[in-house]
Amino acid sequence: MSKLKLNGVSKAYGATLALRRGDLEIAAGEVHVLMGSNGSGKSTLCKIIAGSVRPDGGEILIDGRPVTISGPQSAREQGIGIFYQELSLAGNRSVEENICLAMLPVKAGLFIDRSALKARAARYIDLFSEVSGDGFTAETLVGNLRADQRQLVEIMKALASEAPILIFDEPTSALDRAQVERFFGILRGLKRDGRGIIFISHRMDEITAIGDRVTIIRDGETIKTLNLSETDPATVIRLMVGGAGDMPASQSSAPAVANFSTGAAMTVDRLSGVGFRNVSFEVAKGEILGLGGLHGQGQSAVLRAIFGAGSITSGEIRIGSDRFDAKKPRDAIRRGCAYVSGDRGRDGVIAGRPIIENVTPIHYLRDRLMIARPSSLRQKAMPALEAMHTKFASLMHPINSLSGGNQQKVIIARWLIDRPDVLLLDDPTKGIDLSAKADLFALIRQLAADGLGILLYSSEDAELLGNANRILVFNGGSVTRELTGEDRTRYNLYQAAYEAA
Amino acid sequence: MTPTTIETPSARPGGLKLWLERYPFLPALIIVVALLALNGAFSPNSLSYRSLTGLLSTYMALIMLAIAQTYVVSAGDIDLSAGATLSLVNVAIVVLMEKWGGGTGAVVGAMICGILLGLACGVINGIVVAALRLQAIVATFATSIFFTGVALYIMPVAGTPAPALFWRTYGGRLLGLPFIFYVLAALAVLLFLLSRTRLVTQLLAVGDDQQAAYQTGLPVVLVRIKGYALCGLFSALAAFCLTGDTASGDPLVGGKMTLYSVAAVVLGGSALAGGWTTVVGSLLGALTIGLVNSLVFFMGTPSEWQNFVQGLAILLVLMAGVLAGRRARA
Repeated sequence: MSKLKLNGVSKAYGATLALRRGDLEIAAGEVHVLMGSNGSGKSTLCKIIAGSVRPDGGEILIDGRPVTISGPQSAREQGIGIFYQELSLAGNRSVEENICLAMLPVKAGLFIDRSALKARAARYIDLFSEVSGDGFTAETLVGNLRADQRQLVEIMKALASEAPILIFDEPTSALDRAQVERFFGILRGLKRDGRGIIFISHRMDEITAIGDRVTIIRDGETIKTLNLSETDPATVIRLMVGGAGDMPASQSSAPAVANFSTGAAMTVDRLSGVGFRNVSFEVAKGEILGLGGLHGQGQSAVLRAIFGAGSITSGEIRIGSDRFDAKKPRDAIRRGCAYVSGDRGRDGVIAGRPIIENVTPIHYLRDRLMIARPSSLRQKAMPALEAMHTKFASLMHPINSLSGGNQQKVIIARWLIDRPDVLLLDDPTKGIDLSAKADLFALIRQLAADGLGILLYSSEDAELLGNANRILVFNGGSVTRELTGEDRTRYNLYQAAYEAA
Repeated sequence: MTPTTIETPSARPGGLKLWLERYPFLPALIIVVALLALNGAFSPNSLSYRSLTGLLSTYMALIMLAIAQTYVVSAGDIDLSAGATLSLVNVAIVVLMEKWGGGTGAVVGAMICGILLGLACGVINGIVVAALRLQAIVATFATSIFFTGVALYIMPVAGTPAPALFWRTYGGRLLGLPFIFYVLAALAVLLFLLSRTRLVTQLLAVGDDQQAAYQTGLPVVLVRIKGYALCGLFSALAAFCLTGDTASGDPLVGGKMTLYSVAAVVLGGSALAGGWTTVVGSLLGALTIGLVNSLVFFMGTPSEWQNFVQGLAILLVLMAGVLAGRRARA
């Protein structure tokens, strides 16, 4: 009998279907790997099992009995423990407190039983004692730990649940070899105990080392479950990519090889900073340079650093032949650099203010405008908004009255009043609908044709393949591969992204 | 795939940082000592046993209120109705003690009612903020107006005196020691016990990262409500101290103490964002405010300049504390 079974579980956020149909069966004593590209629904699936996301439909069975998981607490009571990809730690609490946080041992029903807590935490800390590194003690505050050590604490916390079903959502992304080996040793022990384990990783070698079966998720749907012993990595990648994997991407009408005699719009030379190192490239005027790879491999960090919103430790950036070192976004904007982020709430929208105020801030800054007259501003704002086919009732309506896609159009429009030389797009289509995406990319190509240099990072590979003239694949903070011309295929992009570094 | 965060600075906290982690109230303690010295310099008499106990019994209400505030701040919340709760409990116990005749039984009975009333106010705040998910600042501001309204209904005009038994005990001596010392000792025991409860750790975990605490499986809503209940309880204790000090009821007395309590929490070294708080620090923070006020008095500042100097002094202390903390924690 299966330990855990999901039948047709689904979840939508507004209009976006995060998980269309999730079917999954976990047997006792197996490590079941989930594979799928960015945003294919793996994490949503895990969070549904762990109770932190409520499914819209479908059923969940544990040991053959249908169950309702109403929240993380209820999941725990049903015997589910989880390692969260984004970690669920309290930075100001100690390692031992974090490990036991879900079930703090108490005496007299009120006071924390320190010695019981210490003893319980020590059991899990000892499992990793040889590999946890310097400065890792039971009393250390989690906020003082390195990234890999924090990840270990999250692993210990998941193990401490002693749950029969354990979920590990990318538990190894920051760990080194020895730590991974140790962790896998523990997983094998849990397997022998008959626990059911769900495991997500992007490292193919780890998956073959620890996994028994693999389920592939594509576009929010579980496609197929395979025995790992009877398959090979190429088959798995092909399934993740879908049927069209080997087709070249250039058919989607991106100019395959553009002739850039116009010179470089921006040159980046051996740039290093927090989250990326030794990144060099040149983007020509009129070129769309794609940044690809798995999520969080340094693409956003590079873009933010160029825009002056991140930190640069070494290397240099040139616009034309001049050095361009933006200390602050303000400098970058004044010197003709534009940045559009997919995280509109954080980096774009001025919430609750009228559309006109959301279109004009860059204009204020670049023209050093002191006094604004609405009528003249309107004349400048309207063409920019129309270029994007933005739908809105009036310029005075608050921006929140627009859909996500139209909000993003307004944000992009603000950069069009005074043309920049370089446009940095940091996953600009996150959470916007298909027609808005089409409008957006039509405009981006138009801007490139007008001679802007464009850097495009997208978490959707199709967008990169369909629009970028060249693609730099990021892995672990540096560029590991450049795809040009006929090489720009889904298959190559995946392979480069999933390569063990 | 190699680690995405390439180089995180090494984990070993330095000596000073370690000290601050263990005793986050150290900067506040230094400031209190410095202020005591300054007070002594301007008026040696202000350091006498007598005036120090006087200072303590005057500011014990603010100390209690600052501690009350600390527990909600731990969970990343805030309570702008703490002062109003104090006023409400103050007038309620004064009226009850008067009605029941002012004897020992009346005083004890009124105090039990006062504690229950404080708890009730806290639970109301907790439900409004945590369960109904209203903004803590605005919601508790609204409940503060509501509590003040109830207090004004109970006692429309300030001035009803508390029974002599009550304030004589608070201001008097017991077995040769000022009663306020017993209050302080009881408070210390209470704080020590509370610091070991599961609730306080849960409050801090919630304040650290509410989403993470929820995903861990903590009952976040319930924990926050309990935090507010604890705040209501200490607001009631603050009301007892205030009644002992002023010996009368006043429906508006706590209003301006609310923001002083928030200031004391910050002066003490707690993070207003939650997850990192110190009740001892808040105690010292409240004393800091008291000492600044008495310093302004002893310096002989003309009355029309006193607010000006007080405000400036608190700003300076705040800056000193923040700078010291940042330097050491960086």
